[in-house]
Amino acid sequence: MKTMKISIALAALIASGVAVAGDSPAPTNAYLYIGWPNDGEVIRAESFRVWFGLRKMGVAPAGVEKSMTGHHHLLVDAPLPPMDEEIPASKNYVHFGKGQTETRLSLPPGKHTLQLLMGDYNHVPHNPPVMSRKITITVK
Amino acid sequence: MKRSILVATMLTALIPGLAVAGDTPAPAGAKVYFIWPKDGQTIKGGKFWARFGLREMGVAPAGVEKRFTGHHHLIIDADLPPFDEEIPASKNHVHYGKGYSEARVELPPGKHTLQLLFADHNHIPHNPPVYSEKITVYVPAD
Repeated sequence: MKTMKISIALAALIASGVAVAGDSPAPTNAYLYIGWPNDGEVIRAESFRVWFGLRKMGVAPAGVEKSMTGHHHLLVDAPLPPMDEEIPASKNYVHFGKGQTETRLSLPPGKHTLQLLMGDYNHVPHNPPVMSRKITITVK
Repeated sequence: MKRSILVATMLTALIPGLAVAGDTPAPAGAKVYFIWPKDGQTIKGGKFWARFGLREMGVAPAGVEKRFTGHHHLIIDADLPPFDEEIPASKNHVHYGKGYSEARVELPPGKHTLQLLFADHNHIPHNPPVYSEKITVYVPAD
């Protein structure tokens, strides 16, 4: 039992050495969340606003290096990308490098997932990474 | 003709002299507003997260000069300050120079007004100035 605990601790220690996050520090109590829509929301509109909730951390445009800041990335129907690389830019990984704190989104009918991930001035997630819960919405 | 150009030039030179706003442009359609609280809201205990809504512009920390960005200022129980000067820093004019889009606020019991005013890297409102509606909230006595 004790050996198992030690080996788990060791594995965690080794894992932390293996680039699981970028180099820019984030406050450990930073809180990122999707303010709207709510998880499970059913949306009957062609487009809708998504607002980005962020506490204990600030927003800065891409390219601006300021401690404890970053910019929002909205993951649409996509898994989390690697935490030690630049977040890809595609229609599934939307960058808000101008420092936006909300957006308007238009999605085809069906189920969709949304998740927020902060990236630093270089678009690389922080250490520890700051991400929201992944929510599911339905567009009718 | 030459004279009218001269007059026009003089006028444009004079108008900024009237100083109704800062020098940093804001895009048409820019808007700041309260996501929460709402106008007329009663807030038990007086401690809450104020959530700042912003459209058609971005947030940047104070001191960072980037087109169409700025940082939030929360005006508590006060009127809008002059638009051509640095927003004062006081308990009635709270700066969020770290680029925050929400803030913890504590208000004593009573009736309070809240208003958001966006400002540039130098804490001076944009041209045109971007500010929210002034809302009223109530904190009940315990």
